[in-house]
Amino acid sequence: MRKPIVVLALFALAVTSCGGTGGDTTTGSTNAGSTTTGAEATTTTAATETTAGEAEASIRWRTRPDNTEEADVYQEISDSLDEELANITLAYEPGASQGADYQASLLTELSSGTAPDVFWIPGTDVANFVDLGVILDLRSLADATGHSDEDFYPGPMSHLTTDPATGQPGDVLWGLPRDVSAFALYLNNDLIAEAGADDPREMAAAGSWNWDTFNEVVSAVAALGPDIEGFASDAWWGPYGYWMNAAGGGFFNADRTACGLDTDESVAGLSFARDLFQSGNTVAWGGPAEDTYRAGNVAMFMNGRWATPGARTVDFDWDVVKLPDGPGGPSNWLFWGAYVVNAETEHPEEAWALVQALTTSETQAQISGLGANIPSRVSQEALDAFLTFSPPANNQAFLDGLAENPATEGPLWAGSWPDYATGMDAAVGGVITGDRTIEDFQANICSELVGAFD
Amino acid sequence: MARVPNSPNVKDPVWFGPLVAFQLLYGLATAIFTVLVWSNRLPPFTGTLRLAAAVVGAIVTIMSAFATAWTWRRRHRGRLISFLLDYLLAIVAAFVALQAVNFFNGLDALGETFSRGAPFLVLIGAGALLNRTARRFPVYEQGLRQAARVTMLVGGLIVLLRVGTPAGLLTFLTRMIQPQALIPLLVAALAATAAVVLWRDGANQVFGSSRDQIEVMNGFFFVSPNLIGFLAFFAGPLVFSLFVTFTDWDGINQASWVGLDNYAHILSLQARSLPEGAATSSALDPGFVSLFQVGSTVFGARDPLFWTGLRNVLIFGLVAVPLATIPALLIAALLNNKLPFIKVFRAIYFLPSIAGVVGVALIWKQLFSATIGFVNYSILRFFDVLNLIPGVELTAPQPEWLASPRTALLAVIVVFAWSVMGFNTVLFLAGMQGIPGSLYEAADLDGAGPWARFRRITVPMLAPTTTFVVTTTTILALQLFNEPFILNVPNPANGPSNSTLTPVIHLFRNAFEEFELGYSSAVAWILFLLIFLITLLYFRRRSDEAVTA
Repeated sequence: MRKPIVVLALFALAVTSCGGTGGDTTTGSTNAGSTTTGAEATTTTAATETTAGEAEASIRWRTRPDNTEEADVYQEISDSLDEELANITLAYEPGASQGADYQASLLTELSSGTAPDVFWIPGTDVANFVDLGVILDLRSLADATGHSDEDFYPGPMSHLTTDPATGQPGDVLWGLPRDVSAFALYLNNDLIAEAGADDPREMAAAGSWNWDTFNEVVSAVAALGPDIEGFASDAWWGPYGYWMNAAGGGFFNADRTACGLDTDESVAGLSFARDLFQSGNTVAWGGPAEDTYRAGNVAMFMNGRWATPGARTVDFDWDVVKLPDGPGGPSNWLFWGAYVVNAETEHPEEAWALVQALTTSETQAQISGLGANIPSRVSQEALDAFLTFSPPANNQAFLDGLAENPATEGPLWAGSWPDYATGMDAAVGGVITGDRTIEDFQANICSELVGAFD
Repeated sequence: MARVPNSPNVKDPVWFGPLVAFQLLYGLATAIFTVLVWSNRLPPFTGTLRLAAAVVGAIVTIMSAFATAWTWRRRHRGRLISFLLDYLLAIVAAFVALQAVNFFNGLDALGETFSRGAPFLVLIGAGALLNRTARRFPVYEQGLRQAARVTMLVGGLIVLLRVGTPAGLLTFLTRMIQPQALIPLLVAALAATAAVVLWRDGANQVFGSSRDQIEVMNGFFFVSPNLIGFLAFFAGPLVFSLFVTFTDWDGINQASWVGLDNYAHILSLQARSLPEGAATSSALDPGFVSLFQVGSTVFGARDPLFWTGLRNVLIFGLVAVPLATIPALLIAALLNNKLPFIKVFRAIYFLPSIAGVVGVALIWKQLFSATIGFVNYSILRFFDVLNLIPGVELTAPQPEWLASPRTALLAVIVVFAWSVMGFNTVLFLAGMQGIPGSLYEAADLDGAGPWARFRRITVPMLAPTTTFVVTTTTILALQLFNEPFILNVPNPANGPSNSTLTPVIHLFRNAFEEFELGYSSAVAWILFLLIFLITLLYFRRRSDEAVTA
């Protein structure tokens, strides 16, 4: 007798999963309808069901938080927008914080038709997603709602309005940037003072912060002991790209249709980076840069605004300074990612409304409060709000980075960015670690990467 | 068609006619479905799915035709095939019905509301506890058991109410009566009824089934849940991935047939003589990238990352497999003694195997830090001790473990060997405990020492275990992914100068960063063939040794 009761209870529990408030009629397709469970409506799939007599659209959205605190803030934003936006029910899904996992999940869901209505992608992936046909061109919706591209930084917007047929900005809109970021040098002021080196912030203010003075600080601090390093950075394209850009070079030619790594300027930047990392005064290329900085053993650590939450936990005097000016003048990166709309969404208008709501000054100010990123809107209000969040005391360093000739992170419309980046990472790493000569690099790199433009 | 009954004295049971009619309808419906799919008249079935559905439909139609004919002729094989088809149809139709009511999507959502009822599971647990302890109080046993039952029942009801079962049940029934759910549900019920009729003892005489035939049918029926799971979630995707290797497919849009192009691209190699002073890339054909140079000869490949990954993983396997196997054997020999607290030591050595690979890799990443890591610190202190010896003045090496192309793979090897060694130790230990004690007693009588006993008895007797350990460790090594992937965060998983790149990392990046699922599947199949070949060689060698012995 006991077994039938248990089986009956399990069956009842199972059918609960089909539950709802009763009386609702599903009109969605089998793989795209949403479900409500128990007394509380819970959206589970991209499209929605409609309830008789109502026009409530359920929208799922996802972004990639860097940590649980950031995920909580996004959840709060989602809850508050849920109340603000008429006839839209929102469900926020924090994606994996690791890039590869986020990407893998998203691709799988896009493939099976269960991806969210609105999702975030890195700036470098926009072209791939456009080519795959999985994101919606929002231009007509944007035009109808009075949106202006000029409200956002022009670098990201140039990629988000690129027509894949021409590789040039056209009458399309693939999404809106969630936020932007730039590099700065995170300083350990205690180590710099102990070494008796000049304060980089003062040199930056005086206009004498360049590669020579940077090298002087690195050498002075590294002389403090074998376990103390003058500089550290992670080993991906962002950090080494800065050295190339600041020397006047870059990854590509002017219109990003061919390799630019073999120019004299790019090679000069790479040579400087190689000498820096082979001087013995830095955390090795590919070594644990952030961990060593946070342990108090590094004077200057190059990273983006996203490293600020981690820096806030250190127990030494820290601040940030803009990157030193190179032979080609001041330079930096403008990193960004964008909210895009699933091409298969059943509610494009509502999805677009959400994208707009997620990129208002108020919403972006909430995210910036965590110190992770900078608002993507070019508005004094948003920038003022950003500057109030400290430490670091010198928040202006990030804004300086965005104002001083930054190279915009972006996809490769004329080829495959992942192919290009993979080949470039290995070749540049080889030079910096001394495995490959700079001459061999200059002679062969662009031939090696030509396949990325097929 | 003339019907030839197997048992002329057996009259047709009442279900026989409807059963044959059902099988006939089944075949006709499948034939119509196949034609509609093939002629592109069913919109959901496009591209690869259309092809697969048409092939499956055609196979089922043919099987159904034979099943109907043989069932009509009361042959056992007709019963067997009909049973198989009806059983599968019942499962598929039930799944379709459940999908139509959003059952599977709802299961995800149930996780959120389940927490509301979860606290009341305590009542069920309390009831169970009360029921179990009731026997200790014989006087009140009956009353306590009654109270326990009521507690559990009330607890269960509260849980169901809290998670929203009444509303769920109502919605379930409301949705179930919609045509898109009701029709597949009826088909499932009919097919299940037909399958039950065919399986029951009453059908034995009708179809003249022998005892052996019945046992075979029952055997397949009882293993069918596992078999279906295997076919649906392992064999099916495996075959599909093989098909994908012959296509250019991004996982979303229509795949295009490219034949063997993916394999050709992966495996293309070229050797060219390098003219004096010329750039290496100029010596190779367009599309080829230099792999390495021997004298004046340049070797290039179309996919140099695959070959680099393969080289890395072979070097990795050559070092990591002995490192994860030989110490494991020695540790197992030590742990095979009856010493105080030996079980605690066994558990300690097994711990790395159950620790999460991500956590393990993150800890090792800290240990390997050149500036603040414990490994280099230990080396430094060790050399400090050495330098205490008069006349000795050595400089401690401070390797950039994960940052240098020369040591990065070695660091991964250490992490891998450390993680796998515990499990291998347990396997060896189990093998050792299966060796008959009489062999050691005989060796003692012959005056054999511990080393001789280990070399002459333990090692030979462990040969099957050793083969298993080496084989599984080799397979793990060739499939290396997690350790380098985590150890290199936030830098690219390929490691410095691609020194920790593996074929699995390569295929992962191709699949999920470049959306080339056809190409990455081809990499996976080449790796599979390589692993299969190596495993085969191991087993062949083991088999030859056994024959020689």
